[in-house]
Amino acid sequence: MNKRIVYCVLGFHAVVALLAPLLPLAPTDEQDPGAMLQGFSAAHWLGTDALGRDVLSRALHGGRPSLVIALLATALAAIIGVALGSLAALAGGWIDEALARLIDFLLAAPTLILLLLIASFFGHDPFILSVTLGLMYAAPIARVARGSTQVLLARDFVRVARLQGGRGVNLLFGEVLPNVWRVVLTEITMQFTWIILAFSSLSFLGLGASPPTPEWGLMIAEARSYMTINPLSVITPIVMLASLVLAVQALVDRE
Amino acid sequence: MKNLARRVLFTLGAFVSLGVLSFLGIDALPGDGCTALLGRFGTDAKIAECREEHRLNDPVVVRLGNWANDVVHGDLGYSIKRDEQVAQIVLPRIRNTAMLAVVAALMAFPSAIVAGLLIGRYPHSRTGRAINTLGVLAMTLPEFVIATILWLVFSIWIPIFPGVTVVPSNATVLELLPHIWMPALTLAAVVFAHSMRTMKAGVTTIQTMPFVESARLRGTKERVTLLRHILPAALPPVVNTIAVDAAWLLTGTFVTEAVFNYRGLGRLAIDAISDRDTAIILPIILFGLGVYLTMSLIADMVVRLLDPRLKQQRS
Amino acid sequence: MNTSLQFEQVCVEARDRNQVVTPILQSVDLKVEMGERLGIVGGSGSGKSTLLRIAAGVLSPGLHLTSGNVSTAGVNMLEVDPKVRQEMYGSSVALVAQSLGEALTSHLTIRSHFRDTLGRDVADETILSSLDDAGLDGAKYLHRYPHQISGGERQRVLLALALVRSPSLLLLDEPTSALDVGIAADVLATITRLQESRGFALVCVSHDFGVVGRVCDRVAVMSRGQIVEQGLTEHVLATPSAPYTQSLLASIPRLHVRIREPQPSVQQPVVVVRDLTVIRSGSTRALDSINLEVGKGEVVGVIGESGSGKSTLLSVMCGLVSSTSGAIHDGNGFDLSTPLRDRPLAVLSEIQMVFQNPDDSLNPVRTVEQSMSRYTHASRDEVLAALDAVELSEQFLLRRPSEMSGGEKQRVAVARALLAQPQLLLLDEVTSALDVTVQASVVKMLASVQAATGMSMVIVSHDIALIASFADRLIVLRNGQVVEQGFVDAVIDSPTDLYTQHLVKLAATTVHK
Repeated sequence: MNKRIVYCVLGFHAVVALLAPLLPLAPTDEQDPGAMLQGFSAAHWLGTDALGRDVLSRALHGGRPSLVIALLATALAAIIGVALGSLAALAGGWIDEALARLIDFLLAAPTLILLLLIASFFGHDPFILSVTLGLMYAAPIARVARGSTQVLLARDFVRVARLQGGRGVNLLFGEVLPNVWRVVLTEITMQFTWIILAFSSLSFLGLGASPPTPEWGLMIAEARSYMTINPLSVITPIVMLASLVLAVQALVDRE
Repeated sequence: MKNLARRVLFTLGAFVSLGVLSFLGIDALPGDGCTALLGRFGTDAKIAECREEHRLNDPVVVRLGNWANDVVHGDLGYSIKRDEQVAQIVLPRIRNTAMLAVVAALMAFPSAIVAGLLIGRYPHSRTGRAINTLGVLAMTLPEFVIATILWLVFSIWIPIFPGVTVVPSNATVLELLPHIWMPALTLAAVVFAHSMRTMKAGVTTIQTMPFVESARLRGTKERVTLLRHILPAALPPVVNTIAVDAAWLLTGTFVTEAVFNYRGLGRLAIDAISDRDTAIILPIILFGLGVYLTMSLIADMVVRLLDPRLKQQRS
Repeated sequence: MNTSLQFEQVCVEARDRNQVVTPILQSVDLKVEMGERLGIVGGSGSGKSTLLRIAAGVLSPGLHLTSGNVSTAGVNMLEVDPKVRQEMYGSSVALVAQSLGEALTSHLTIRSHFRDTLGRDVADETILSSLDDAGLDGAKYLHRYPHQISGGERQRVLLALALVRSPSLLLLDEPTSALDVGIAADVLATITRLQESRGFALVCVSHDFGVVGRVCDRVAVMSRGQIVEQGLTEHVLATPSAPYTQSLLASIPRLHVRIREPQPSVQQPVVVVRDLTVIRSGSTRALDSINLEVGKGEVVGVIGESGSGKSTLLSVMCGLVSSTSGAIHDGNGFDLSTPLRDRPLAVLSEIQMVFQNPDDSLNPVRTVEQSMSRYTHASRDEVLAALDAVELSEQFLLRRPSEMSGGEKQRVAVARALLAQPQLLLLDEVTSALDVTVQASVVKMLASVQAATGMSMVIVSHDIALIASFADRLIVLRNGQVVEQGFVDAVIDSPTDLYTQHLVKLAATTVHK
């Protein structure tokens, strides 16, 4: 994929996410009972949904909830994951073994059910969701951090650093991190995209964003039943979500 | 052999301790079976009465002990809300999800291995790149989107498959079959992409290793090199991916089941969660744990068998 | 057709993504007749491996043949149909490439390897006779996996596989570089025997003149993509005409030629090792009851092959590996079995080490100055002084590892160790990864550093001639045990141990008679 296309798409999403409330769009929850499920029109460029709300406006606002939560969760996951993974590798021995097993478990165990549970029992509180997602998605980051740290620690220049007095965290920041940050950052970015998708899925199931918030997953769920009448109301959020995720992953794959 | 026994023991231990943790965790959540049953209509008196009846006021340890005892004897408990034995509710759903998982697995895994092998070896072919792109799409589009697209294509535009499952959960296998294809296709798409990608990455790396070129320059035929030299070497990471995905097919399919209203375990999980029916949620979690731990063990054994170096270490 | 291989005015370039062009081969003219044995000698970057691979019809991506003609067994393998080319592999021409990793497939038995090359219905007798020819006796090899046999045996299996369909041309790239000296000599003898009995044409590429000298009648010397000299091996060895060949031959360490004069023994020890044993995973004894003392200002050479424990010895001395039993102290009586993190800085600085791989010794993101001063906290002047001691100029301060050659990187590694002002410098095969000409200059540099600072050194190598030209005392390690130790001259002139005798004999007959 052309790098320029990727940058354009990302730029578009960034602008839209940041500036949507300032753009001259129809209010996202204004219902127009006389104009439900309509296609292209001068008043509504991408038509309306089942409650007569403007699809274009809702779609442009729709990324904000997921992005906010995803950014918070990713930051948390990155901090925990990198710390856990690199310190485990540095510690070695049984501490490392135990942490490695924990990471393995978190990676593949049915933690999605846990997510559903927490989302359902604790309401739609975005803070709790962010923290839960952050904790769950720390594991893949920890795995990559641990793996690359282990490789680095075996290299000769790290052994020399040890012989000259380098120890512990000083060693991590001085020798390891500058050489692994690229790989780890790639993984963090990938997890960011998975978190966006996870939140959209939750919203789709009714456990994430709550109506009338415009959110892509929620919009797809609401519009699904009317797909044949006004396909735009379903296709637009799908395209927005897919383009964002694809663009971020394409950006990262190149590096 | 000793190693294997240790692994199995460790797995059992993990299962038991995680089971206990789950029980305590679910118990700590707000609400219980009685509040689920009575919901908004429950006055304090009625709820108290209900709790007495179902012995929900006993201390945690007692309830844990009773429950553990029941489970060991095959009794999965009783759902207050649905007024049914949990086993009656959960077991048919497990069967349905298992059917779905088997069909999806058969569709996805063999083809993913073949596709990954070929695309990794011949990356510049046109079909290769096309399949690769489809794979990327399948991985980035969320499950519900793929499900929706497939539903649009195969239920509305080209009506081959029924869109929504209309048969009850304890229908026979035959009755269930027509409803299985679309959810299975959706799941297969997600899982295919994941395994294919791992296989492709493995093959790409292995190809650069000296033994591959060495075989070629000795005169080994291409097909032999591909199937006997490259494939077994690239399999171990794929085996792990398949194990994780197989576990997911049995425990994580609620979104797809929700879209097609397929009466499997995932759908039940969602319903139970929104009903706050803790008696059902707990066995589902245990099932999930058990599946993951078993798959993990099996994957480990298979990887050991594939690599003669590791096989030796065992004895 | 008499010519097995012919290169006519061949020019090859490398073009990378940014269209930067690097010449790899320049006007190469080469001819190998049927039944001839040609050796190609050159350092890294000389283009010798590329030349061999092109002879086998393999042109790596990024490389382009810009002019000239290559003919292998009468066929231009680069232009011929891929099917024809694949047919030729094994039957007309076979290449055994240099393999630092595994050239055999680790999940297949030896027998499977043969069946994949010859077809599923090949008789076991054919395989056995082929292995026998290559010096491997017995059916036990049939069902073994590559990791179950030694390096030398693996190389023989590769030879057998290459020759099993009787190609008329055999191409070998560094056939013995991964093998111990004694085993290498045996494998080379086998290669010679095979060539004499079967009569194929042989092209053998190596950085080591000794290898080529043992096997080949004719030799071509390459430098920077060009053949600087060609002729009969004895002739080139005795009277090299090209300046590159001359400097190459002069750099090869010789048993009785000193780079540094041996010093008499000194009483005051810098490190004392008593009954040291290191047991690795399982029950392998990496080191077995070693006794050793290194005096102040002394240079002790440790000779050992792979598995001898030489690297383990150094690692235990500096504290990177812990011992299982035994005692090790420094000159002040400090117990050196204390883990690194518990040692005071003064003790840490006493012993420093330089490692074998120049590409691994320096942090890729740091400049030389940063790498050298980060943990030693040296001032710029001190850094410059250390660089000066290793003969590197001021311009190296800002260089990154990717901008330096192997020899330069090793010099920086030595300078960095010097900044800690150690009493003892440990050198683990520090020149083994370098070209022989670079090796000679690095060793000279080490000699001048030792003379200037008076520090003790323990220098480990598999090359007895190199150590003998540099050290005061010699220790020979085998399977974790000291089999001989003493002053250099004594050990070299009259070795008491059989193994040492064997090593000395091999070293004496390598290149110069």
